[in-house]
Amino acid sequence: MREEFYRTLSSPIWWGVLVLAALLPLVLSSYYLHIVILSLVYVALASSWNIVGGMAGQISLAHSLFIGIGAMLSSALLLKLGINMWLGLVISAAISAALGAIIAWIDFRFRLGHLSFVLITLAFAEMGGIIVEGWDFLGGASGLMLPRDTGNYLAFQFGGGRGAYWVMLALAAACVLINVAILNAPIGYYLRTIRDNEKAAQAIGVNILRYKITAMVISAMLASVVGTAYVRYLTFADPYLLISPVITIEIVLFATVGGLGRAYGPALGALLLVPLGEILRGKLGSTLPGLHYFIYGVVVIAVILLTPRGLLSYFELLWLRWRRH
Amino acid sequence: VSELLQAIAQGVLIGSTYGLLALGMGLLYGVSGVVNFSHGDFISLGMFLCLALYSALSLDPYVSIVITVPLMMALGMLVFRFLIRPMIGHQFLMIVQLTLGLSLVLQNGILMLFGGQPARTPSAVESKLIILGEVVLRVPHVIAFGVSFALAIGLFVMLRSTDFGRSIRAVHQNAHAAGLMGIDVGRIQVLTFALSIGILAIAAALLLPGTPIQPTQGLRYTVITLLVVMLGGMTNFVGIMLGGLVIGISEAFGTIYLSGELGSLMPYVIFVLIMLFRPQGLTWGSSR
Repeated sequence: MREEFYRTLSSPIWWGVLVLAALLPLVLSSYYLHIVILSLVYVALASSWNIVGGMAGQISLAHSLFIGIGAMLSSALLLKLGINMWLGLVISAAISAALGAIIAWIDFRFRLGHLSFVLITLAFAEMGGIIVEGWDFLGGASGLMLPRDTGNYLAFQFGGGRGAYWVMLALAAACVLINVAILNAPIGYYLRTIRDNEKAAQAIGVNILRYKITAMVISAMLASVVGTAYVRYLTFADPYLLISPVITIEIVLFATVGGLGRAYGPALGALLLVPLGEILRGKLGSTLPGLHYFIYGVVVIAVILLTPRGLLSYFELLWLRWRRH
Repeated sequence: VSELLQAIAQGVLIGSTYGLLALGMGLLYGVSGVVNFSHGDFISLGMFLCLALYSALSLDPYVSIVITVPLMMALGMLVFRFLIRPMIGHQFLMIVQLTLGLSLVLQNGILMLFGGQPARTPSAVESKLIILGEVVLRVPHVIAFGVSFALAIGLFVMLRSTDFGRSIRAVHQNAHAAGLMGIDVGRIQVLTFALSIGILAIAAALLLPGTPIQPTQGLRYTVITLLVVMLGGMTNFVGIMLGGLVIGISEAFGTIYLSGELGSLMPYVIFVLIMLFRPQGLTWGSSR
């Protein structure tokens, strides 16, 4: 680890923000608390995707698989086999990691180009969705209903609202911290070398297979764990939400709009776009179906056209200009 | 055996239209490096325009092409000029996200105008059948097959032997050099995008008779088109048509031989297998 990471760990700003964020549920109404929890879910997911998509430059659309395994499999294990959800979380994360390793290996072994990788992972994601919808053990098309959350920590229950918020906050902070750590560790440099020029990376002796697999495994495990926590908060394991490629597309959107390959970029994107989407839905969702998504799409297009390098870089530029004055 | 023949026939007929859809996307990619993720939503738009023309003027979808094609091409030009062109040269993912944003806008624009109920647009030939021995073919599929191949051949000839086609190929090979030779690269890119949208508008009418449509279907068409383009090696014409047939046939086999959900897995499985063992696509020789 480089000192940058330790500086982040001991930074008063970091901890200050975290403590302030932890106090939020004391003042928020349950509606806004729900929006903030959702934002944190996506902060965690977009940050975990960033390890593969941003740093290693492998645009994986298979992340709905990992989220879906974390959510659907752990729920199915609990409901069908009575396996404690903590254990379910570990099992799902392990399976996601194995699957991630296989996908990374396929990418390496068959030397897929960028676009082939995008589409093959998308094909995997589609297949995963179809399998879940067709297999009753995983809930089929109708999904699974988890038992009510009574706040029993041993059964992976955190008492809804506030409890879920703190769990999500911890997960999101952990995902962002892992991003900072990886970016400043040797593996972060290797990953960016692979992204920028794979042949050159190989020529100077970077073990491409090893780092691609490591990145994918870390990313897949994080996504799976977030998936389990997310489904516990939702109490309803909905296959159309949790294992559809749409969730990956959203994550990639947040990461790209915020700033690919940066530690705080994906978090920024999710923190701005998720509340925007939710508030639009709350205000306009009942007036005319489709209107809120329409406006959301227009905003996304406008943001991308105005800040093609990502919001984080744009804000940095503004900050530099302001300081110069 | 009759089932097998039926599956192959059905797959070939539908696959030819998939091939046509993918030609537009492949052309665009070749000329400007843009992968349009709102491709499927433009197909939706074409279909719903036909629906609107049917309910307003009771036009047959095959006739409404006369109106929808120029309309969609004009829209395509505006979209390319003001939304996509400014992004060329930035990260690949940015264009993907931009077209995904566009897909949200199109999909929900359609939802706002037409509502979310599945709708059907009747056509005069919709329920007509052709029976060849044990194989039953639906007339709209046969028309789709004929028109798709005719258009594909037309495109091929155009690329080969018109000035416009030669400019497209020049930009595809080396945009910078083409610019130095006096070709207006920006113009070629706009026109190619309009062309690909125009092809979509025709394909939309071909797919429409007998198919229920709903605003959310766009992404599925985009994915199918992408699979076909990849199988064809991105810019190879013959390869793309072949890819369309492969995806069409595997879809037909999936629905005929496997039950429900598992059937729809088939195209993806075939796609992944082919991509793993022939990453350069289906065609042999130099594909770019």
